[in-house]
Amino acid sequence: MSRGLRADAMARRAEFSARYGAAVSPSLPRQLSRYLLPAVLLALLAAGLWRVDFSPERIWNGLGKLGFILSFMVPPHPGNLLGLFIRSLGETVAIAFLGTLLGAIMALPLGVLAARNVIPSWIFRFSMRRGLDVLRGVDTLIWALIFINVVGLGPFAGILAIMVSDIGSFGKLYSEAIEASDKKPVEGIRAAGGSELHALWYGVLPQVFPVMVSQVLYFFESNTRSATIIGIVGAGGIGLHLADQIRLNEWQTVAFIVLMILVTVGIIDFCSTRLRFALIGKGRLSG
Amino acid sequence: MNTARLAPTANTAALASGYRRTMAEKRRRTILFFAALLVGIFVAGWIGEVRLGVFFANFGKLGVYVSNLVPPLHAVTFGADMAEWYWGFDLWLIKLLDTILMAYVGTGLGFIGGFCLCFAASANLVQSRWTTWAARRVLELFRTVPEIVYALIFVVAFGLGPLPGVLAIAVHTAGALGKLFAEVNENVDLRPVEGVVASGGSWLHGVRFGVLPQVASNFASYTLLRFEINVRGAAVLGFVGAGGIGEDLLIAVRRFYYTDISAILLMIIATVVVIDLVTEQIRNRFLHLERGP
Amino acid sequence: MLVFGRAGLRMLKLEHVTRLYGATTAVDDVSLDVARGQMVAVIGPSGAGKSTLLRMINGLARPTGGRVLFEGSDVSGLQGKALRAWRARCAMIFQQFNLVGRLDVVTNVLMGRLAHRPIVTTLAGWFAEEDRLMAVAALDRLGLGAQLAQRAETLSGGQQQRVAIARALVQEPDIILADEPVASLDPANTRSVMQALRAINRDQGITVLVNLHDVDLAREWCDRVIGLRAGRVVFDDAPTALTGAATTELYGLERLAAE
Repeated sequence: MSRGLRADAMARRAEFSARYGAAVSPSLPRQLSRYLLPAVLLALLAAGLWRVDFSPERIWNGLGKLGFILSFMVPPHPGNLLGLFIRSLGETVAIAFLGTLLGAIMALPLGVLAARNVIPSWIFRFSMRRGLDVLRGVDTLIWALIFINVVGLGPFAGILAIMVSDIGSFGKLYSEAIEASDKKPVEGIRAAGGSELHALWYGVLPQVFPVMVSQVLYFFESNTRSATIIGIVGAGGIGLHLADQIRLNEWQTVAFIVLMILVTVGIIDFCSTRLRFALIGKGRLSG
Repeated sequence: MNTARLAPTANTAALASGYRRTMAEKRRRTILFFAALLVGIFVAGWIGEVRLGVFFANFGKLGVYVSNLVPPLHAVTFGADMAEWYWGFDLWLIKLLDTILMAYVGTGLGFIGGFCLCFAASANLVQSRWTTWAARRVLELFRTVPEIVYALIFVVAFGLGPLPGVLAIAVHTAGALGKLFAEVNENVDLRPVEGVVASGGSWLHGVRFGVLPQVASNFASYTLLRFEINVRGAAVLGFVGAGGIGEDLLIAVRRFYYTDISAILLMIIATVVVIDLVTEQIRNRFLHLERGP
Repeated sequence: MLVFGRAGLRMLKLEHVTRLYGATTAVDDVSLDVARGQMVAVIGPSGAGKSTLLRMINGLARPTGGRVLFEGSDVSGLQGKALRAWRARCAMIFQQFNLVGRLDVVTNVLMGRLAHRPIVTTLAGWFAEEDRLMAVAALDRLGLGAQLAQRAETLSGGQQQRVAIARALVQEPDIILADEPVASLDPANTRSVMQALRAINRDQGITVLVNLHDVDLAREWCDRVIGLRAGRVVFDDAPTALTGAATTELYGLERLAAE
């Protein structure tokens, strides 16, 4: 044992290789298997890059143009349209507010019905859940397009689009919150002689209400983000002006609008987080 | 012991009035809240041009619209009807696969970007406060600007087609994933990192051997989730000319090709549902790996 | 710059090493000479600065005053590549082992070779066969041959500490610093770890500095005992000189030592 480690290791190379084969020289298949998945993913990425015409030339030219655009954006300036933009932003927030509220309210019965503890029929619940998933899965922008066809251009279509999208999300969240709620208050109420409705109203809802409100506030913030862009297809809000100014290559105005959007979303994010803390307490903040 | 009625004592009166006062206070606050809410609703409704009469009238319109969407499907000629409805199936399928590919490439590039930036943005891995602050701000910028706004600008810079769409997804994803990754990093056990570094490893070694094994499955899980979201996003980027099936959907809507709208929409929904299921399965696998043998 | 001086008596030298944390003095003007091949125990009550002292030797902490010399060269202010080279020569094992739980035992031990190889290959996870042989040899010596492919976190505490010792061994170090290596272990494992350290010290002539919370361990295993109290050296002698009175003074009135 008084030989140095390196001398010892080299002297007993044959013995160690025989006994601990894989550790001393990992076999080629083993080495390759480690890199197989990353290789496949990278190959797919390369194929994709080729398919979308990710040529260095195109990227280089594009980056150059992007550089120009960015330089034109400084300093951001609304031109003489500031009043119009502020009104539009107000419209955007209003769309988000009403859309979220209506979605939250209309999803309530649907969420309750989709919960395990309420309706025992598995088929019913399954179809409810899938229905909600569909509403949720279709992007708000798509709903906006469709509702424009139904009610015409303008913020009303936007409100409906956000509402429908939210019904899907809220419905799922409500049902999950109800399913996760503590059964004991419900049992207590039933034991004291209350009906199913009593059990729901006094037993389940007080538990899930803070969580639900917290989720609604969270969605209000993300809906404001959505509301800022549905204007691009004509569903009201500042998105319309943003798209217009981009088409007109008025980059200073574009930058200004983007900044306005960021600031608005930031403020709403801040307020929403504060309110959620107050409601739920730091530890259980969800989302 | 007989069940004597609970007689009120001197205390009861005081307790009862205290309770009444607290409840009154609560009621007052609740009423205030709802009043504020109502005012908010009215203001928003006025700004949002919501007219109740129109709202209810539109239910009728909605009904007509939905019925228009449904194509004529008869049991007898089902095969032929389906073929008619999905006349563009081949085209649309390719477009859908392209959309998924767009989402994949965008997520992949975004992952690389977010991965590289996330370590600089983790306060427990870098000494300099400024580096962390700057990295965090860059990531924030990337993720707060909506994807479609990036797409609009990139279309001007790079031309029409899926390329600006991919880049828009990539930038937004880099910001979103970068932040999530940084948060995971900040919860990591630093003792293995210290072990690697005390043995003579560099900072890079500390990250590669000390941090990565702890965060890898979380990173993978978040990336898959992001991919799922990006597939939905990629479907609409076509609205602004950034490639994918959105273009076809936009044309169908604008020109009131009702049955095309429903056909494409159903395909999009089916795709999203399938991708959701698949990624959920894979993520569950990662969760099991996380819990170990 | 590390100069290869005479492998003489003055191997490790601490000159007036001090460490302040704000208003608190963790290590107060400590000066020590450690000769090559010694097995030195550092004892003292908790908060006495034992850990900080050891960490200032391999650069995990920096002295606020004074310096650390190795074979005549100042190693207290090293950075970058020089620091890594120094840390390769001055291995450390920790109370909580500081292994990467998710990685297998062999890879953990290979961490000890990182300073000797180019960054690019090691980042990719490729290690030369020579390195792997050394890792395997070290683990074999420490009786861990059967656990090579297991994840480090699946091993017992005693086994994990021996993996850490193996990691230190493959660094081919001049010094091993052990920061409370047995504090989390049961008596049987404590014994085997101390035995392993002693064997390394005796057979390979590697200097060992070990922080211990148990005075009896210091007496049993080490050539020299240094007592630290409130950051100052209050005892520096052979274990035989560690009387009850000395221990009482070191630990205050809280402890009665065995004679």
